[in-house]
Amino acid sequence: MTNTETALKEALASIEGASAAALVDYTSGMALGTLGGSKSFDLNVAAAGNTDVVRAKMRTMEHLGLKAQIEDILITLSDQYHLIRLISGRGGNGLFLYLVLDAKRSNLAMARHQLRKIEEELEV
Amino acid sequence: MTLVGTTPRGTTPPPRLPVREKSTARHRAGTGLSPMLTRLAAERATGVLERERGSLYLAEGRVVHAESPYAPGLDVLLLTHGTLDPTVWREAVERADQEYGAARLLLDAGRIPRGALELCHLGALYDAAYFALAPSSAPGRFVYGAGHWLGALRPVPVDALERETLRRRELLERLWPDPLADGAPLLRSEAVAAPAATARQNAVLALVNGVRTASDIARELGRQAFHTLVDVRRLAAAGLLSALLPPPPPVAPAAPDPPRGIPMPRVNDPDITLLKRLRDALEAL
Repeated sequence: MTNTETALKEALASIEGASAAALVDYTSGMALGTLGGSKSFDLNVAAAGNTDVVRAKMRTMEHLGLKAQIEDILITLSDQYHLIRLISGRGGNGLFLYLVLDAKRSNLAMARHQLRKIEEELEV
Repeated sequence: MTLVGTTPRGTTPPPRLPVREKSTARHRAGTGLSPMLTRLAAERATGVLERERGSLYLAEGRVVHAESPYAPGLDVLLLTHGTLDPTVWREAVERADQEYGAARLLLDAGRIPRGALELCHLGALYDAAYFALAPSSAPGRFVYGAGHWLGALRPVPVDALERETLRRRELLERLWPDPLADGAPLLRSEAVAAPAATARQNAVLALVNGVRTASDIARELGRQAFHTLVDVRRLAAAGLLSALLPPPPPVAPAAPDPPRGIPMPRVNDPDITLLKRLRDALEAL
């Protein structure tokens, strides 16, 4: 049983190469919690922007008639990985965990596994 | 040689017009949403700020709870989706006192995981605050010392709340710039070649009946009101629904008939709203 802040801290500490994390409500685009980030990397902006990514993918799946749920979305940059993991909140709103990883230092399979574990502990 | 100037030689120039120093004014008034709230945050006040469309509960200058008649309460969000048993909730609310808020009672009894309660509460807080901080025509009122029976969960700094409220306003404006659908009863409309609505939007559309407002629909679905506004504005932009214009106010029976031939000006609500928004925008400059 952890709170948001602890879960995000754990994500950064336990996932190799993680530099920033956010928990985002994807209807409003609001970051419910952020950790890491810097002046040059505003997590609130990233949260709102990635909301559009999630929304676009969900709409496409609905148009295609795909019934499966999105587990995660991976965006690879030349030097970073951005990992988005979808979670359904108990208050009837959709959330996602957003994680920024250094491509050179991280292990993607491991990061996905850890993120799943953190989601379970978060109990949102 | 010609002298260009508006002041004739030998007379004193008129005094400079007073100009508000923008940088200091902005600093003093925060984001301009509520100068009173900014001041209360600076003095680390505890109590409740009551505004026209909702209340904000402060503890040492930070917002711990918000309520608005336009947004479903935390109870609606928690109970509609079966996250919490209604009897458990009622019991906690009844037993809550100054020392042990309802939130702490629920957590101590292990009735709900901390993460779930925290996020639901945070969602409800920002949701109600969006309406409480809406432009108003009446001044706010602050009652010092008043606490909330829920107790503090995760206090939110005032500037973060104001920033998010402004971001939400801009988001709605971007989706569909007509605010009329936010408060009026909604009506379905036949759209030509409209994009398909999502499952979430279809749930909203199913409840549109010419009577319910966006807030009513949010309450029935157990969703945050702002989330419903996002869906409503997107549906309005797609042409799938529209706001029912308020009926013209009934003519008072005592009023004498206007003389023939002279058209009486019609007072229209949207105009007043627009004027209020204009005034607020000008004040915020």
